[in-house]
Amino acid sequence: MVDKKSHTRRATTNFSIPICLCIFFLFAVAAIAADSQPRFERTYSPQRPAHLTISNVNGNIHIASWDKKTIHARATGAPYVVVEDKVLGDDITISTKLNIRLGRADFDILVPSETSLTIKNFVGNIDVRGITGHLSVHSIDSDVRLVKVNSPAVDVVVTSGDIFFDGELQEGGSYSLQSMKGDLDVTLPSATPFNLNARALSENINLGSFLSSLSGTSRGPKGVAGTYLRGGSRLTLTAYAGRILLHKK
Amino acid sequence: MVCKQCQELLSEYIDGALELGEQVNIERHLCDCEPCRAVRDDLLQIVHFSQQLPMQAPSTALWPRISSDLAELTPGFWSRPLRWLVSFRTLNFNFSVPQLVGAAAALAIVISIGVIVSRRDSGPVQLLAGPAPSANSDVKPLSQTDLQQLEKQITQLSVAVEQRKESWDPELRTAFERNLLYIDQSLVECRHHLNDNPSDGVSQELMLNAYREKVRLLEGFEKF
Repeated sequence: MVDKKSHTRRATTNFSIPICLCIFFLFAVAAIAADSQPRFERTYSPQRPAHLTISNVNGNIHIASWDKKTIHARATGAPYVVVEDKVLGDDITISTKLNIRLGRADFDILVPSETSLTIKNFVGNIDVRGITGHLSVHSIDSDVRLVKVNSPAVDVVVTSGDIFFDGELQEGGSYSLQSMKGDLDVTLPSATPFNLNARALSENINLGSFLSSLSGTSRGPKGVAGTYLRGGSRLTLTAYAGRILLHKK
Repeated sequence: MVCKQCQELLSEYIDGALELGEQVNIERHLCDCEPCRAVRDDLLQIVHFSQQLPMQAPSTALWPRISSDLAELTPGFWSRPLRWLVSFRTLNFNFSVPQLVGAAAALAIVISIGVIVSRRDSGPVQLLAGPAPSANSDVKPLSQTDLQQLEKQITQLSVAVEQRKESWDPELRTAFERNLLYIDQSLVECRHHLNDNPSDGVSQELMLNAYREKVRLLEGFEKF
């Protein structure tokens, strides 16, 4: 009788450990799955080239062009981060609500190439590819990568972070990149004409092989200005604590 | 890193003279250490305000010396006032009312010009003096009024942000303080360049941009 009771207790104990582990495992899987679930997913169908504003606080923003006429936006992030949108005609605004908890929200967005973009962020990297519309990026703590961009106007201002630009400049366009703590790395086709105004407060400006072809050059201790080929577009590069690097594609 | 080490290196840190590794160590320490952050803020304030101290005025004996040297160098120019001074001593001082009014008006004009000139000279940086050799021709020179307005705006925003900062997520606070420091370092460097060359258009433009960037940062974080 005593033996039987003892056997039952041991069996119950042995049974409860795997159950606890299973429950724990299920909770962990559920938590991971919940975290990776999109917090926000929308598709917009603008009638004309749209103006899309993304306003984020903490997280990466990745925007690429595709060959469809719709805009597809997807955000993943912490459960307490609220993402909301507002559509006024062809003006679309997607924003995360400000919260004293720095919850993360990562955006993945696909747009028609001619979409104009305004991106505002506090912390998190920004990656934009294949855009031909106007582009404005203002962030505090972000590395910004602009690849295959062929916009009539680009304006990037970050307080800290590197800015990488690999694209084309349009005749008469305006292109301004500024970082207070980070490098500016710009790659342009060798046949692109532009008027350059580069200023680096504390580090070097390296114009690579563009330097020898720059005419009307004025050089100061902190800046270089000049015209490449016949000029046309305005390229303004400003780095406070960082280098300016210009490469030919 | 302990507080003593951190505080010994803070001055070089503010000047941007540290290696990247040391800089990162200090930033990490500052994130967690309120007393060291206070020392850093004090140092930044000292740097900031020392740049705004007025220029030292020359001694009273200097002008007579220069005047006599000039009189020797350009006798033609100075001979007339000297003759006038000699004849002045022999004059009878019987003024009519219109003469007195005219003299008072002339004195007021002279004093006004003197005050304007002395105010322009007493600033830390002569931001409007001389042409700015900036490559960008459409850049407006930075006036003292612009600066004062920006500094006033920054002070108001800073007060608002300081009140909210304690309730922030530590990561958010770190991001704010790190970026504010970068901007302050840039401003200190701009002031340094402008003190060396007050008419440098590039430095003026960079300083104005840095101020605007500080406003943008504070406005952004004020919303939290």
